[in-house]
Amino acid sequence: MSIIQQHTESSLTDAWRTINIDALDPDSSQNFPLSTLHPPQPEFSDPDARNLQSQIRQLLQAGDAEGALRSALENPIYNAPDLAKETHLQTVIEVLQRIKVNEMTPLLQKIYNDDRGSESLDVLMKYLYKGMAATSSGISSQHTGNGPRTPTKLMTPQATGFSQIGNRSGITAGDSTGAAMSVLLSWHEKVVDVAGLGCIGRVMTDFRRV
Amino acid sequence: MSAPEVHHLFHNPIADHSFSADRQTLAIARDTTVELYGRVGNSFKLKDELKGHDKTVTSIDIAPNSGRIVTCSQDRNALVWEPTPQGYKPTLVLLRINRAATFVRWSPNETKFAVGSGDRLIAICYFEEENDWWVSKHLKKPIRSTITTVAWHPNSVLLAAGSTDAHARVLSSFIKGVDARPEPTAWGERLPFNTICGEYLNNSAGWIHSVAFSPSGDALAFAAHDSSITVVYPNAPEQPPRAVVTINTQLLPFMSLIWNGEAEIIAAGYDCEAFRFKGGLNGWQLSGTIEAKSRPGLGDAREESALNMFKQMDLKGKVKDDTQLKTVHQNTVTMLRPYETSGDAVAKFSSSGVDGRLVIWNV
Repeated sequence: MSIIQQHTESSLTDAWRTINIDALDPDSSQNFPLSTLHPPQPEFSDPDARNLQSQIRQLLQAGDAEGALRSALENPIYNAPDLAKETHLQTVIEVLQRIKVNEMTPLLQKIYNDDRGSESLDVLMKYLYKGMAATSSGISSQHTGNGPRTPTKLMTPQATGFSQIGNRSGITAGDSTGAAMSVLLSWHEKVVDVAGLGCIGRVMTDFRRV
Repeated sequence: MSAPEVHHLFHNPIADHSFSADRQTLAIARDTTVELYGRVGNSFKLKDELKGHDKTVTSIDIAPNSGRIVTCSQDRNALVWEPTPQGYKPTLVLLRINRAATFVRWSPNETKFAVGSGDRLIAICYFEEENDWWVSKHLKKPIRSTITTVAWHPNSVLLAAGSTDAHARVLSSFIKGVDARPEPTAWGERLPFNTICGEYLNNSAGWIHSVAFSPSGDALAFAAHDSSITVVYPNAPEQPPRAVVTINTQLLPFMSLIWNGEAEIIAAGYDCEAFRFKGGLNGWQLSGTIEAKSRPGLGDAREESALNMFKQMDLKGKVKDDTQLKTVHQNTVTMLRPYETSGDAVAKFSSSGVDGRLVIWNV
């Protein structure tokens, strides 16, 4: 004999399985802000990001690509409005596009062997993934017009060390995202060579999003 | 260095394993049962099955002196298995949790055990003579998420716990009437129940997979999902630690770690093999693997591994052949335990993993 004496409409269906029991538990993570688990990150504003961008551009113009990359990676923008984050992504990508393929690995190794070098490369990896996400969703996001994301403009290649890009005449929008993606992909490969798979794992694990 | 002793027990994941003090009995958590293996010559033979849980058994521990086995499971229960002449007799423990129990360990003095759970708490269980049952007290306060792992301090009062809220904590589990007042340590002097002696977050806030006190109890190491190992050296009670050393590795995350003396840590995880770390207060380094790669007799006990098959397909476009990893374990190692110790040093340790193998390594 069944121990359930009465069948009601609701006990016969499995609708009760979809009840969110966490909402009823005062101690559950639903009822406290998850951000309290992490230490607060320094705040950045749009002007801060633009200042940083012009500083880094000056370094680039002075031909100090290494210094530019280092200062871009040492100041990741975590706690800021989307516009500031986009500006910094643009800055990082500008720097990356200025560095020649054969200079990548020695530069990465140099950074990795520094005191907090492993963290710098984790930051770089975060921007690489963000850049890839921006390029692949670039066109559609312009159509839907959600916010300040204009990644296709941002990814326009400049005169870089990449012969692949420079040799092409009449770059269309599709080509430019492709070219930008190939820059990001070759950086990705080099970063994994130096910092290992652990670097990818850390980017996926990290609560600090760029 | 002689070759490791490999026992391929079955084709299921091993959630946890534990040896008896004489190393003749091996308890394995397999699905919803606990299997007891006895050593026969060079191999282990199944001699008993403990059936009492009706969901996956998540953790198991044999008390070295009393021989009692404690198990916990996703069915929210813990059982203490008392050895009797008629076999093992289970006793249910009143955990009072409404989520899965995830991890259990006996305290070094064997009067208590700690059960971590998905209910955002740790149940400290002890035996109540008057009522003749195991009752529990809850360590609850700062814990915000599932406890994945616990480890005891040698004084049997301090407990380290790792959680999916990315914190490794050191808490007091002092129970009046069960524990004698502990000697003051660097972690704390007065230790009423649920004192928080330390709370540590790793850089990227990854889940904590494993925690361990050094043999002296004066340092704490933990492994997190961001492929890092962090070692904390406390200074004095209520003060910031003397040093917190983090090593970010190029490897995949570690699932388990053990100390070998005060200056060496052995850790293993998703890379399917164990690595050695060396260091101290001033810094730690990855110093190499335990396994010698040109191991003889790699061809024996050949088995197809899905992980390796996809790895080969991904890397080389190969579909056939080479379906074996170069490591002894063919899948993630989930648990390391000291097997043979001399003083604080580990002479041999055992590892088990998702591939159903139990391996005894020489350090």
